[in-house]
Order: sequence, then C-alpha cells, then structure tokens
Amino acid sequence: MIRLVPDQSRQVVRSEKVEITFDGRPVQAYRGESVAAALLRAGHLRLRNAPVDGAPRGTFCCMGLCQECVVKIEGSVTESCRLAAENGLAVASIDCGPL
Amino acid sequence: MSDLFDIAVIGGGIMGCAAALQMTSGGMKPVVLDQGDLGQGASGVNAGTLSLQIKRVKLMPYALKGHHEWERMGEAVGFHKSGGYTLAFTEREANLLHERQRLKAEAGAPIRFVSTSELRSAEPNLTGKVLAASYCPEDGYANSSLTGQYFRGRLRAEEIPYRERSPVTEISRSESVFHLSTPLGEISAKRLLLATGAWLKPVAALLDVDLPVRARINTVSVTERMPKLTSTVIGHATGLLTMKQKTNGTVLIGGGWQGRGTPQEGRGEVTAATVMPNLALAQYALPKLAKARVLRSWTGFEANVPDFYPLAGALPGVPDAFVLGCVRGGYTIGPYIGKLMGDFILGREPELPLFDPGRDFNEETI
Amino acid sequence: MNATYDIVVLGAGPAGANAALTAAKAGASVALIDEGTQPGGQVWRPKSAAIVEAPVTPESRSGDALRKSVAGSGVTLMPGARLWQIERPETVWELQVLAGERNVPLRSKALVLATGAREYVQPVPGWTLPGVVGLAGATALFKQELMVSGTNTVVSGTGPLVFYVASEIRRLGGTVAAIVTPNSRRDWLGAFPAMLQRPDLLARGARWITDLMLAGVPVHWRHAVTSVTGSDRVTEVCFRKVGANWSPDGAEQMVKADSLCLGNGLIPAIETAQLAGVPVRHAPELGSWVPETNEDGSTPVPGLFVCGDGAGIRGVAAAEVHGKLTGNAAVSWVAGRNPKPDAKLVDVYRKSARFGLAMTALSIPRSGLQALTTSETVVCRCESLTQKAIRDEIASGAGSTNAVKSGLRCGMGPCGGKYCQTAVARMIAAIDGRADAEISPPTPRPPLRPVPVSALAGDFDYGDLPIPKPAPL
Repeated sequence: MIRLVPDQSRQVVRSEKVEITFDGRPVQAYRGESVAAALLRAGHLRLRNAPVDGAPRGTFCCMGLCQECVVKIEGSVTESCRLAAENGLAVASIDCGPL
Repeated sequence: MSDLFDIAVIGGGIMGCAAALQMTSGGMKPVVLDQGDLGQGASGVNAGTLSLQIKRVKLMPYALKGHHEWERMGEAVGFHKSGGYTLAFTEREANLLHERQRLKAEAGAPIRFVSTSELRSAEPNLTGKVLAASYCPEDGYANSSLTGQYFRGRLRAEEIPYRERSPVTEISRSESVFHLSTPLGEISAKRLLLATGAWLKPVAALLDVDLPVRARINTVSVTERMPKLTSTVIGHATGLLTMKQKTNGTVLIGGGWQGRGTPQEGRGEVTAATVMPNLALAQYALPKLAKARVLRSWTGFEANVPDFYPLAGALPGVPDAFVLGCVRGGYTIGPYIGKLMGDFILGREPELPLFDPGRDFNEETI
Repeated sequence: MNATYDIVVLGAGPAGANAALTAAKAGASVALIDEGTQPGGQVWRPKSAAIVEAPVTPESRSGDALRKSVAGSGVTLMPGARLWQIERPETVWELQVLAGERNVPLRSKALVLATGAREYVQPVPGWTLPGVVGLAGATALFKQELMVSGTNTVVSGTGPLVFYVASEIRRLGGTVAAIVTPNSRRDWLGAFPAMLQRPDLLARGARWITDLMLAGVPVHWRHAVTSVTGSDRVTEVCFRKVGANWSPDGAEQMVKADSLCLGNGLIPAIETAQLAGVPVRHAPELGSWVPETNEDGSTPVPGLFVCGDGAGIRGVAAAEVHGKLTGNAAVSWVAGRNPKPDAKLVDVYRKSARFGLAMTALSIPRSGLQALTTSETVVCRCESLTQKAIRDEIASGAGSTNAVKSGLRCGMGPCGGKYCQTAVARMIAAIDGRADAEISPPTPRPPLRPVPVSALAGDFDYGDLPIPKPAPL
C-alpha cells in the first residue's frame, strides 16, 4: 500500500525505561516522559473521579490547563501532563469528593 | 416604565432585597434596581462568615436575630451552623481575646473560653501554637455566592419587579415624585431607599447629600477541594484570619486584608503584598493547608461610616428618602436590619432601634 | 531578582520568543517566562527528555531553531514558570511567578503577553470520558511524547487541525478509525485563494488528505460527533450529518474507537490580558473574544503589549512576525520614543495573517453548533454541571456569566472556566435572544494558575504580622 505519510514510529528512540507506581501499582515509563503519557501507554486512562458525580476522568487538554489529569505526588496536587517520570516516582490518584 | 412605584430601592443586595420583601408583605409596591446582578456587591463576594465573636457589643442583639434569619434561609444559602473558634497566639492577643469576648458574651452571645486541649480535640489539625481560644456554638457560615440567586428567587416569588444591570445615573424630584434615570429608561417612585453599600456616597450625591461613607477592600481566597481539615469556622483574636472548609472540601480564607481600588473604579484588585501574608497566616494556623492550591482570590468592598455603626433611617435633608447600609457585620445582620428598615418605612415601630443617618459621627451617639 | 527588567515576555512560543529576541537584540533587558521546560509554545512544543532521537518535522525544525536562538541570546529564560499575578501600583509592572515550588517576584517597565490559544470544544454527551482529548491537546502529546492517544482513534473537528492530527497519528504508527468534520469540501474551497499564498502548506495538506484516502480512512465531511460512549473510557463514537449551520440532521452512525480527538477551533487565551486591564472585544473571525490590540502589539494599557494567537488566531507565521513587531514597539515605548514599525514587516504580517485567518474562518461557530450539546451533557467539567442545570439557572434570571458562576459554581473549579465559559456565554446569548458580543467573558481573578499555599506563605514569621488597630468593639 502506498503511504504518502510514512509510519515513522520505529525511528523514535527513547530514553531508558524506569518504573513508577500509580496507587502502588508498578507502571513502566521512559525516563523524562510525562506521567500522563506513561499512564496512557500503560492503559491507565481513568486517572480520577469527578468530585461531584464520581464520573471517570483522565487527560484531556494535554497543556496543563484543564486540571483533569491531576495526581498527587508526596501530598501535592499537580498536573500529570507537566510532570516528568523518574525512577521510583510514587504517583497517587486524588480523591476529593464532598466531605 | 410609566408605573409609579411606592418606593424605589436602589441596591439589590441583602439589605435592599430584605427591605423590599418586608415592605411588600406590608402591602407596598417596591421596585428594586441594581447597577449589576443582584447580590454581587459585598453581599455576594464576602467570605460568608456568620460569627458572633466578631460582632460589635452594641450590635449583638441584631447579630443574634441575623443568625436566626440565616438559619431560616437554610440550605438555599448554604447555611451551616458549624460552631466557631477564635484563636490567640501571643500574650497580647490572648489579653485582647479575653477582654473582648467577655464583653460580647455579656452582650448576649453564647461565647465561652476553651482550653487548648478541648480545642485540640475539636480541631486536631490546628497548630499546637495556640495560646488561648474562645468558642461560640452559634457561629457558622453561609455561601455568599448564592445571595444573588436566593434573592432573585424570593423577589420573583413575590412578584417584586427588579432591574439588573441598571445603574441610576440621575435622580430628580418633582411634585413629590422621584424620577430616576437608568439605561433602561426612567423609573418613578414616591419614595426612595438607598441600599447601595459601598456606593452610598456617589448615589447619595445624586440627591446632593454628603454621606461620610468609606469602603474597605477585603480580600478572600479559596482553595481547591481538600480532604477534611477543619470542621468549624476559625477566627483570629485580631481579626486578621477567618478560615472555613465548606462541605465540598474547598477552604475559604479571609481576614480583612486590604486590596486596592475604590468602588467607583469597579471591583477592587487583589494585591500580592496582602494576599500572601493572609495565606501565610492561614498556613500557620492550619499547617496542612501548605499543599492546598489556591484557585482564586478576589476582593469585596465593605462600607462604613466613621463611628462604624449602621446608617439606617431617613436620609438627611430629603423627604421620603431613606438609607440603609454600612453595618459592621452587614452580611450577618443584613437580612434582619433589612426587615427593620422595611417596617420603619411601612410606618411600624421597628422591633429594635434603628440608627439615625443624620447623627454626628464624631460623637458617641450610639 | 530585585532588578527591574525593561521587558518581561509571558509565553515563549513563536510570538513571545520573537518579541523577546527582537527586544534583546535592540539592547533591552528581557525576561522570558514560559510554563514549559523550553521555548516553543504549543505549535513548536519541544520534545520531552524521554525522546532521544526522532524524525525531523517542519515544526521541530522551526522549534529547534527558535530554542537555539533564545539560548544564544541575552534573554533571561524562566522555564517551568507560571505567572499568577499582575499589578501595576505605580509605573512598574509587579509580577508574581511560581517557579517550581517558590514564588519569584519580578518587576518590569513593559509587559508583553504572548499567551497563545487553547481549544474550544463544543460539549457533547460523553466528552468527559477518559480517552477523549482535545484536537490541539493531541498535537501536544504528539510533539512532546511522540505518542498517540489510542490504538484506533476518531479525529473530529473543524479547520486544518483535523487533518494534521489524523496525519500525525498515522505518522506515529497509530490508526485513524474515521475523520468527522463539520466543514464541507466547499468550505475548504472557499479557503483556497488564501491557501495559494502558502503553496508549501497547500502541498502538505494535499499530501495528508491523499494519504488518508489511499489508506481508506473514511472522511465524513459535513458531519459532527454527537456522542461518545464507554463505561470508564471511550469505546464508541457516534456521529451524524449536519446541515450547513452545523445542526445535526442525519441518521446516527457509530464507529468503534478507543480514543477521540475533538476540537472546534482555537480561542485566544485572554485571561492574563484581562487581568492586566486590557479591554476585550468580540471577534469571531479571530477566534472569539480578543484583547484590543494594534498591529504593533500595543493595547489601550500603556506599556502592555499582546502578540501572537493571544491577540487573535492568525496562525504561526503571523505570530512570528507579530512578535518581532511587538518587540520593537515595546523597546520604543520603554525608551520613550514613538514606535516606528518596519513597513516591510507589517506587510509580511498582514500577508501571513491572511492565511491564518482563512484557516480560523473554517472554525467560526455556526448557529447549529450548540445543538450538539444536549440537556444531559456536562458543560462545566470541573463541577459536573449539565446544560439543563445551566439553562434552568439562566431561566431563573441569571443573565451574565458571573451570575451563572455565582449561582451554580460554574467556572469556579480548578480550570477557572477555561473549558466551559465560552459555551456558557453562547448559551446565555441564545436563551436571552442577545448577541454573543453582549455576553462578556467573566472577570478573571488571580491566581492565573493554581498556586500552593506554601509558595504564597514563603518564609513567613509570625512576628512579621502587622499589628492592626483593634477593630471597633
């Protein structure tokens, strides 16, 4: 089949693999990629539940604005699309429904 | 627009709306006008604190009645009687606390002093650096953002006409009728109630009345939703901190830190120089707040006259005109004093005395 | 950091970085702030540290060149930094920047805002499901991580981004299940004259479309996504034919997919300009509400400049030139000189803008677009508020975005209304029978980005507390 836009995925060389955890579960990542990307690749699309109705939510804007991809690192809430994966990073999902 | 209203209430905040509702219940036909959306002045942007511990001694009877009004409004305004603590961290603050809260308790508020261990058991996340604390079980909060929605619903239910985004630019009087110019046309009314809060000075000036109204620019901040950190309203002996966590988990932080601006310029501006120490103090009192992210800070105007007592009565020098505002603790007292004002205008004896706007503010007349 | 810069530029994309470079070259002291780890903005987003090697693209080439220029210049770059407050108590801009975990105050004589754009997505049922990403958001994922959002992706939206995203998915080894675009071939024909200005981009676009055709990817012209289903992630995407006004009028069709890239054009990010006091006006041809800006980036606020997509969606080529014009204007202003814009540069700017505007025109919302949002659709994502809840609030008398916000918390969540307020304003206009231009965006409040309390508290010492006059007893 003729492809005018070739598949270049195999030409991408990534850094070394590291292991992060998401709510305690190990997740493979490439060192330096965004945690949102690592979780996406590992199939963790549901990152949290919407606080009001508990609906599943995950990465949406990929630009650090929508706050849908937020996770907790050492108690601090941060956008996972702006957070770089490093070996041993412990990522927790947030749960802030009504008190 | 050719209707002749019994009274035009200029200012659709808590006080103007409460007065209009009371007057309607007595058979009058008011119209309510607001330069913006209803309840978006001080009524809609304050921190929502309902605390007897910060009320003036002589206004305590009004504040107690105000708390009952808020309790009646209930869920529709997000009312919660959570109880409240006032904290002192230094000797000076502890002395201030003891002296003042004692006087407020004597004025009728159920305030008592608590030991630090009682405080720690009620609020385990507060810093251990508290030296002294007072407590009032009647204290709590409401959601000031809901003011506009609440009163819009009440006015509509009583079929009281109102005009939003309708500033009054001119007032003239001929043959015992006031004529108000607004962008949506002229309004005519036999009487007037000025209830424009921080904008009382310029509005009174339309009638050539000089009211010594000044406005403070109070800053409030809110965090994202947090796990449960605190369950009561937290105050500070100096007033520099108010803190409460709503049922949705967000934490609201105030304390009267001053932003920048004047009512004539529009909404005030938050200034980093004051919002930062405000939040620093909040974190000092509640260390777990450190990791909370602040989503929004804003300012609201709080009007006052030099003696810091209300203006509530006849507008000096203008027949058939009245003024209501500048209540210290206006959010708490507003729904009640609005009713008193309504009664006064209806010709009834108000349950508690009002506050003559024509008094000498330099003397201790109240 | 107590020194006062001549110029601070917010946003290191094509516009901002060029403004900074131009100003620095003219001798000004310049700080360039960006949320990202390196300059490039969205369109030239740099690769993450995880990407050691990747094929060159026109965007990566331009971005690398820009990053190299900035690195080799006298510009002080502040990467990973988020501006959250702007004040000007006297003559100097006082800025607060969150850099890592600390707050960094900055002062400057002039301020250039190059905050770019974000996407507008018309809410549809299921748009909040994991697996749905914005169209522009998808490009961020491609450029930064060279990753696609799923194994079988539906790409939907208006304008050229749709075909760019679909093409990139294929280039990065993914599969496009279908392309759904409310635009018609005729809409594109209308853009043709402007596209002739850029034969390189025309050829590139033609290659994308031909490639998609050869690959047998279905392209549904004049269609829109009407719902997304799945229990905790996307499993199906439904779409229907729409009329010329974009109101759905065809039978529902369904395609199985595990991801959806969805967008209805770009809108300028105006919150920072609003906070700085710049008035805004409604300009659908420029994307939505825009700050009042001149060609040289100056605004009604002295010493405040806006350039790039943040001033109106005119595209990357125009943004680069706008940045240069604005850099010069800012330098002139600081020096107290009358600005003397380079006539040739202005000409290039206008020509480049023509192409960008033709692309933006493809996304100008039409009257039927709102019909894609049903009563049960969540409109405010942060607070899970449905269209019905918002309509009821408007019907009860809330007549402004601020009133809806106060009554319902719509726009009070962590995103600050970025993904709901445009739709809500249009809802108010439609229900009240007013023009879109009459329903202004809500007043932005600081912080411009969420800031941890600890960063605000800094090195607080209790003894620093002012002792206020005791409150009247």
